[in-house]
Formats: sequence, structure tokens, C-alpha cells
Amino acid sequence: MSSTNVLSTPLPQPPMPAWRRGLRRSLGHRGLVIGSVILALIALAALFAPWLSPHDPYAQDVTQRLIPPAWYAKGSWEHLLGTDKLGRDYLSRLLYGARVSLFIGLATALISGLIGTTMGVLAGYYGGRVDAVVSYIVTTRLALPVVLVALAMAALVGGSLKVVIVLLGLLLWDRFAIVTRSATQQLRDAEFIAAAKALGASTPYILLRELLPNLMSALTVVATLEMAHAILLEATLSFLGLGVQPPTPSWGLMVAEGKAYMFFQPWVIVIPGVVLALLVLGINLVGDGLRDVTAPDGRN
Amino acid sequence: MLSYVFRRLLVGFSVMLTVAVVSFMLLHLSGDLATAIAGPESSAADVEKVRVQYGLDRPMVTQFGDWLGAAVRLDFGRSFYFQNTVMELVGERLPVTLKLGGIALLLAVVVAIPLGVLAAIYRDSWVDRFSLLVAVVGQAMPNFWFALTLILVFAVGLKWLPVAGNTSWQHFVLPAVALGYYAMPSLMRLTRAGMLDVLGSDYIRTARAKGLSPARVVFKHALRNAIIPVMALAAVELGFMLGGSVVIESVYSLQGLGQLAWDSISRNDYPVVQAVVLIIAVFYIGLTFVADVLNAALDPRMRTR
Amino acid sequence: MSLLLDVKNLSVDLPTERGLLHAVRGIDFQVRRGEMLCLVGESGCGKSMTSLALMGLLPRKAQRRADHLRFDGVDLQGLPEREMNALRGARIAMIFQEPMTSLNPSYTLGDQLCEALRSHRNVSAAQARERAVHLLERTGVPQAADRLRQYPHQLSGGLRQRVMIAMALMCGPDLIIADEPTTALDVTIQAQILRLIRELQREFGTAVVFITHDLGVVARIADRVAVMYAGEIVETAPVAELFARPSHPYTRGLLNCIPVRGKTLPGRRLRAIPGVVPSLIGPVSGCAFANRCAEVREACAQTPPLVQLTAQHAARCVAIRPSHVFPEATA
Repeated sequence: MSSTNVLSTPLPQPPMPAWRRGLRRSLGHRGLVIGSVILALIALAALFAPWLSPHDPYAQDVTQRLIPPAWYAKGSWEHLLGTDKLGRDYLSRLLYGARVSLFIGLATALISGLIGTTMGVLAGYYGGRVDAVVSYIVTTRLALPVVLVALAMAALVGGSLKVVIVLLGLLLWDRFAIVTRSATQQLRDAEFIAAAKALGASTPYILLRELLPNLMSALTVVATLEMAHAILLEATLSFLGLGVQPPTPSWGLMVAEGKAYMFFQPWVIVIPGVVLALLVLGINLVGDGLRDVTAPDGRN
Repeated sequence: MLSYVFRRLLVGFSVMLTVAVVSFMLLHLSGDLATAIAGPESSAADVEKVRVQYGLDRPMVTQFGDWLGAAVRLDFGRSFYFQNTVMELVGERLPVTLKLGGIALLLAVVVAIPLGVLAAIYRDSWVDRFSLLVAVVGQAMPNFWFALTLILVFAVGLKWLPVAGNTSWQHFVLPAVALGYYAMPSLMRLTRAGMLDVLGSDYIRTARAKGLSPARVVFKHALRNAIIPVMALAAVELGFMLGGSVVIESVYSLQGLGQLAWDSISRNDYPVVQAVVLIIAVFYIGLTFVADVLNAALDPRMRTR
Repeated sequence: MSLLLDVKNLSVDLPTERGLLHAVRGIDFQVRRGEMLCLVGESGCGKSMTSLALMGLLPRKAQRRADHLRFDGVDLQGLPEREMNALRGARIAMIFQEPMTSLNPSYTLGDQLCEALRSHRNVSAAQARERAVHLLERTGVPQAADRLRQYPHQLSGGLRQRVMIAMALMCGPDLIIADEPTTALDVTIQAQILRLIRELQREFGTAVVFITHDLGVVARIADRVAVMYAGEIVETAPVAELFARPSHPYTRGLLNCIPVRGKTLPGRRLRAIPGVVPSLIGPVSGCAFANRCAEVREACAQTPPLVQLTAQHAARCVAIRPSHVFPEATA
């Protein structure tokens, strides 16, 4: 019970730089680490798809239809994950499908992020009537059944990759708007904004150079969650035939194509579903993890 | 309190109107409806005939006015595909969807609340971690895929439940699970968060200091205060379910409102599509209104004025 | 008088991010039946932790240890939770600091008043209500019968605290632990509540452990005082004795800080004890007050022994001057 005498209590440590602390918190957060690993793996697979795919994802071979994956009795190592109804190699389609999903997720998040952030920042910064209008638009958008509207419009315009991105981008901005609005409201009266104004900075400057960087952490969290949302929606649209069109490999489309055979060749729908779930899981873990790590201290 | 309710009601109505306008415009502006109805192979003359026949050549405002005027009387016109009026079709299908949504929500709540309470009481224990795991995995699975997998496992593999149709209650089990599982994680997390919050409050400490049994502390004192936001969220989730029933009903051939919407979309039966979108939006607005009122009732400033 | 509460060597440790916090470090104290013991000390000295430790209401991560924690002869440490629960509210009751948040906003006062009595004893609802009204009247709540139907938010802070007091008395406990019950109230209300507690204590013969940071309160109501600093009890004495002959440097410092009407001249600086409370995280040894004490010496690096000045008066300090040791002192 001896050691240090109270008279010689050690001095407090000098504080760690903020980014170091953030990094340490991130590495300690199990969900964040797992999610990042999953995401990184899928992203790498998508990036290096042309080199990793054993076959051409579009190459059909009717003699090789519906071969089960390699671990089944009738499977072969030629097609590690089997083939689909048109004899195309499943693994290759899966890898290229990752590209589709990730591309759609990123593009949609970008578009909806731009729209939502603009609306949210303007509403939060100016308040008053601008806020009232934006809030009303958000409430209206929230009242729309997104899936139905997306389906209806895709049916009218015709489904395709581009259409899906534009459509989802125009529909999924609500959370961006809500979050940036409240964050902007909180920062609006902060001292550094007042200081910038006192220096005569123009409003666009304040919004872009002072406000926006401080919204980044909240924005990243929302962006990851909306990415996941978009990926799931695209898969749903493609499953119903109104999203990405064949022969482009989309995981949702692959499930649709396999539906007719699922009773006897279940892997045809199980495999794309599992990777979809994995991708969304990874993104959600990263998003939740980022939210935990960037939350103000005292939450843990 | 009353003034708040009134204001929210007003906002609800104007949003409903806006949704009507928006859905009308979306449909009419995203492509040439006359061409869509007439079909891709029709001649220009045919398309013109269709245009006149359905009044699509009139100004947009007139079209909308007519449609809205009739809609208020619950007259959505006649389906292009079926012989019945739209309302007849909706009337047939709506109960199925409501039943599905109700059961799905019930299942979600029955699992989510106990799990959330346990996770809060035994925070950081395996129960807590397990429930968070379930939540996180649950929200990652696409619902159409989960629906198909359920069929594979339970209907085909184990042969416990039927695959399609909507006659007996067994027909609703798998679809309700497939529709409800997505709402379960958020309800569970909210219950957990609410309970953690409440369990840390002073009046819970007082209750414990009085020597009340742990069960009474949790259920009488804690849950009562934590549950209202959860109920509000449940109302909102029901709204989502109604909108998202499209996919589930298609997979399970449930002949509900969602499937009607989907079929009509594929067939360009636009009066039906417009009506269904509006009806679902109306339900959703109504449910969020209920949720708002519930949350406001919780706010002590609104009580006993 | 018999000993109702006998605490020996109570320690409470809390694991924190930065290490193990020794909130309470081996304290001893006793409370006799019907006695008012004031536990006085500044914020963070461990007094609230002590009260929670007695009630068994410490946070889950906390570690409680004691040689013994005897309540009416029974060691509380050995009790299974169910039996401890039977004691809480029935024989040991607690009053908290924040009347505004200590009552459940969703239930009526009557419900909250009666539930402890009904769950501990087999009384009917009517009997419980009758007792509740009686106690509300005794604690000075006007229109007592109507109050049963009211909700907490309809009452002011002072009234709520009276309700809390009535609630604590419902089962007729032998001991009440009051954790700074008047701190959050207006000064005028404070005086009323203090007077009320004193009266009730005398009338019902309840022992009270009254926790406070205010020496003025101590002077007004205490029978005996225990002064706490940095997790330790540094001095214990009957109240008059403490104010007349404060022996521990910390106690003397505290008393010096109180401005005295007539003596402390306006415009003069108020006295304060220099320095700050040391961190209690990680191993602590020696006298915790050493870094602020005017009479510090080498011997203070070791844990100071307990010096018994009289049969009732003890202090933990090596610097107690001979003049403080009285003829009746037992060495």
C-alpha cells in the first residue's frame, strides 16, 4: 500500500493531438474495425475484378448451365461458385456486381448528399422562411412511399443504371437535409462564424470554408448510411426488374434471375444475398462506428 | 396540447395535398403517358386517340383538378386493366395489406421490446451484445432476399408453412416475418436507449431505495416512461411497412395493396398507381401524426394545462 | 443507547478509464438509535458514495469492502439481495438531494407514497392512504388529502422534498439516510425543512445520517458530526465539541472559512484553504490533507493514526497539539 506519496502525485499528461485520439478510439471500436475490413475487402475485390475474375462475366455457355459451386458433389473448380442459368460464371459476376453496387452507392450518396446538404445548410443558416419551406419539403418527401414512387417512375422512364442513380439521388436526400440542418443550427451562433462575419467574409465563403468542414463528421456518418440504403434499394429495384438491366451483373438482378431455380439450386439466390448483406453490414458498421467515435466525450 | 394537435393536423392535411400534387406530377411528367398506355408499337394516330380518350390533352392543372375533386369523393376512376373501379380494387386488397402490416409490426414489437429491456438491464453482457448483433445483421439483409430464404427454409426445406396465397393464418406468418424483421432492430435499439436513459434517472434510484422488487422497478417505473417514444416509432415503422409491402407481397403472392401497385405499375394502369401511392401516403401521414401526438403527450409541458 | 449502525473499515473503489478510484478509503463510524449523525465534507469527498454503499445501491462496477457493516446486529454485506431489498424502504430509508427529479413524473404522489408500504407490509390501499395523508400533514404539506391525486410536476421543490420525507417515513424506518436534502432548495425553505427533519427525528425516534457540505446545517441539527475529506473520516465528535475544539487541521480550516457576522469585516478577503484535493486514482498513501496543511511534517507521509481525544471525540492527525488532549482522554 506504499508507492507514491500524495505529495508527489504525477503531473497530468500533455493532451494527445485530436487526430491521434480519434485514431486510437477508432482502432478500439470493434464494429468499426470489422466493418472497415469488410468494406476494404469488397472494395478491393471490385477494384481488381478484371484481374480476379476467372472468366468473363458476360460469357454465356449453355452447356455449362447451373453448375453448383465447387463444394457440391457435381461442382467443379473451373467455376468456384457455379454458373447461372445462362452458363455465366457466378464468381466473376459476383465480383463485377460489387462494382455495380459500390458505384451506385457512391454516386447516389454523392447526388443526394449534395441536394440534402444544400437544403439543410440553407435552412439551418437562414432560418425563418427558408427553414419553413425546406422543412415542409422534407416532410412531404418523408410522406412519400419511396419504393413505390421509385418503381412507378422507373417503370415509366425505363430502368437502367443511370436511371437508378438519378432516381435514388433525387429521393434519398432527406436524412442529409435533416442532419445538416440541425448541425448548422447549432453552429450558426458559434464564435468562429461570428469572427468570420466580423472580418467581412461573404456568406458563400462562410458556408463553404467555415461551416462545411465542421459538418464533415456528421456528413460522413449519414453518407455511409445512405449508401447502404441506396444499395439495398437498387437491389430491390433490380430484383423487380426495374433497376439495372441484364446482362449487367447486379446482385439484386442475380437473385431475380435465380428465383425460378431456387428450389433446386438454392445457391443461385443465397450467394448474391449473402454478399449483399455483407456489404451493407460493413457499411452500417462503419457508419455506426464513426458515429460512436465522433460523438462528444462522455457518451461512453 | 390541443393547439399542438390542431397544428399538426393542419400540417398533415397540407402535406397530403402536396403529396397528391407531387405524385400526380411525377407520373405525368416522367414520360408520355399516352404512349405508355397505348403501347410501344402503336402508331402516332393511336397514341393521339388514347390521349384524347383519357383527357391527357387538357392542361395539367385541369387534369389534376378533376382528379383531385374525384379523389376527395374516393372516386379514383376505373382501372385500365380490370373492369372494376379503382376503389373496388383497393377495397379488396387493402385489408390484406393492413393485416399483414399489423401482424408484422406485432411480431417486431414482441421481439424488440423484451430484447431491448434485457439489453439495457444487462448492459454489456452477452445478452446485450447478442441483441446488438441481431440488430446489425437484421438491418443488412435485403428484404426480398430474406423473404426468399424464409420460403426456402420453412416452406420448402422444413415444409412447415405454405408458400403463397392468403387464405389461412399460416399464409401470413412468413410474409409478416419478412416484412417485420427490418423494423425490429430500430425498435430494439430505441427501447434499449430509452431504458438506459430512464434507468439512470433519479426516480429509479428512489424506487430502488424504497426496496421495491427489481421487476416492479423495471416494469412499473422504468418501462412506462421509456415506452412512449418506442410506440411512436412503431407507428412510423408501420407506415414504412405499408409502403414496403410491394416486394413482400409480390414474393408471397399475397394479393394485397402492394401487389396491386406492382402489377399496375407493370401494366401502366396509372389510375390505380396514383390512387395507391396517395392512399399509402395518407396512411403514412396519419401514422406519423399519431407518433407526433404520442411524443408530445410525453412532454411534461403539455400535460395538465 | 444501543448501536443501530456500526461501520468498520468501509471502502468503495470505482474502476474508471484512468485507473481505480478510491472513493471511500477505510472509514469507521457508528450511529446510535435515535441519533442524528451529520456526515460533512466538500464535494467529491465520498459522502454520497458512503450512503449508497450502506444502502447497497452502488453502481454495478463499484467494489465495496468492509470489516463489518452492521445494521442492528446484522452484517449487511452477507445479506442476499432479496433480504437487503426487504430492509430498504422498510427499515432503512433514503432521501435524495434533487426533489425535482427524484419522483416519477408518470405516477400520482399517492401511488408513490403508498407503494413501498404496500409492498413491504400487508396493508390495504385505504390504510396506506390514511397513513400517507397523516404523514403529509405531519411534514407540513397543505391540503394533504388532495395531494394524493396530484402529480409531482404540480408541486414546488420545497413541497416535493416534504413529500420525499413523508415517503421515507411511510414504513416507520429505524434509520434514514438523507443525502443533502436541502442543498437544492431556497435558503428560507432550507431552514423549514431542517427544522422539520429535526422535529420528526425526535418524534419518531429515527436515527438519521445527514449528509451535507454546509457546516451551518451541522451546527443547527446534528447530535454528532463526522468530517470527511478525500474518502476518509478525519474527525468525529459531538457537535458542540467539534465547534468548540476542532482538532483536525482540515476541520479548523473549514471553520475558519465561515464568515462570521461581526467578526469578518466587509471588504476583507474570505479565507480559503489553499491547494486542491488530491486525485484518488491509483495508490494513495499518507495523509490526504498533507499537501494543503499548514502543520504538515515528515510523519504525514505515513497514514496518520486515529487519536482519541475523548471517549466521543477522535481525529486522524499527527499534529494534534497537547492542549487538545483532555484529562478524560484515553491514550
